[in-house]
Amino acid sequence: MDLLSRQGLRTDGRRSGELRRIRCKMGVFNQPDGSAYLEQGNTKVVAAIYGPHEIRTNRAKAPNDSAVINCQYSMATFSRSERKRRPRDNKSAELTLHLKQAMATAIKTDLYPKSQIDIFVQVLQSDGGNYSVCVNAATLALIDAGIAMEEFVISCTSSLANGETPLVDISHLEETMGGPSLTVAILPISGKIAMLETSQRIHINHLEPVLTEAVRGCRYIYENLNKIIKKHYEEIGGALNWGTEEYNI
Amino acid sequence: MENRIVCVPGQRLCRLDSTHTLGKGTYKRQDYIYSSLAGIVNVDNTNNKISVVEVLSKDQTIVPAPGDIVTAMVTTLNQDMCKCLITSVCGHELNETYRSSLRRQDVRMKEIDKIDMLQCFRPGDIILARILPMTEAHTFKLTTAENELGVVIACSEYGHPMTPISWTEMKCTKTSAVEYRKVAKIVQDNADENT
Repeated sequence: MDLLSRQGLRTDGRRSGELRRIRCKMGVFNQPDGSAYLEQGNTKVVAAIYGPHEIRTNRAKAPNDSAVINCQYSMATFSRSERKRRPRDNKSAELTLHLKQAMATAIKTDLYPKSQIDIFVQVLQSDGGNYSVCVNAATLALIDAGIAMEEFVISCTSSLANGETPLVDISHLEETMGGPSLTVAILPISGKIAMLETSQRIHINHLEPVLTEAVRGCRYIYENLNKIIKKHYEEIGGALNWGTEEYNI
Repeated sequence: MENRIVCVPGQRLCRLDSTHTLGKGTYKRQDYIYSSLAGIVNVDNTNNKISVVEVLSKDQTIVPAPGDIVTAMVTTLNQDMCKCLITSVCGHELNETYRSSLRRQDVRMKEIDKIDMLQCFRPGDIILARILPMTEAHTFKLTTAENELGVVIACSEYGHPMTPISWTEMKCTKTSAVEYRKVAKIVQDNADENT
């Protein structure tokens, strides 16, 4: 089976440079300080933020002048076609570290000394690009929590079909059948790369087109999320009077 | 507020020059002011010379910082220090409390060596205090070495509220018993608490 048909269509009917549908909702939970639900195609993720609050774990190791970022990545047991025994395994522990690294580049930790920010993400349904969707959902949840960030952290994946054409925002099928897949997390305004990872060896000649395609995907996701957030804040901000009441106490 | 601008983190707001300065929820990068929160942009022109560009968000997350006046509740007490829970910072209530400690030498300015902690605070007292500059310690250090800082609300041994009668004594409203405290001189309209 070819990942890209002769007509230039992928198995799910997208073109090579086309992304999956993005749907999201901010503030889905009441109890955490911030939360978000994000859906990219069939990959569905929820993220919740607690904090900034007093440091509870590793108080001795905590830095004195900046916040501690604590992450947890997990997958629901029903997220894949075969039931997962444990929601967190070695793979999740690795992704937890990657997530922490990516989010720490954007959060202004120096504003919250002696505090801790907890980021919890859970994959509800897995269909490729789990890590990327988790990064994007965590960004939305952090914005919802009102935590100061330099800018968004946006992640996207890309792969190579038939050894030549880059595919953006790959699905689970393309992840398992195709060639090397590349995951990148960027800060879209300054253009910095927060995280870059490939699943296997990739030829140096292919790296540039695949990376360019993934970054283009990131920018597309950024534009979309930007619009959604602005719309969300226009709707809820008016009702809360933009926090101006707090100023008049 | 009409035609307001909704901004997101990382959005460039304006140039940082002699007429514009950084306000809440913003940061500077290469001579420009950027937003670090999602909310609306507000330009404060109360000062004629320089206008403050700030971002108003639905809920501002606040954490205690050195120099802030905080409200705290005394939990445990011994001869050297007392432990407190910070419940609000600069008049903003916190979602959850932060632990802090107040050492004996920071209770008042004068006659530090004569201080008896038991004659200054009791567990359950609500105090106003200032956060001291950060040290290597894990918790926040407080001080009440100012006239306006100290015990604000306290209950007597019999559980009735007390009113201050001098800067070291408080009197029970029911039993008229006098107890010793490091009393705060409350400034009218709570101007202190909102600074």
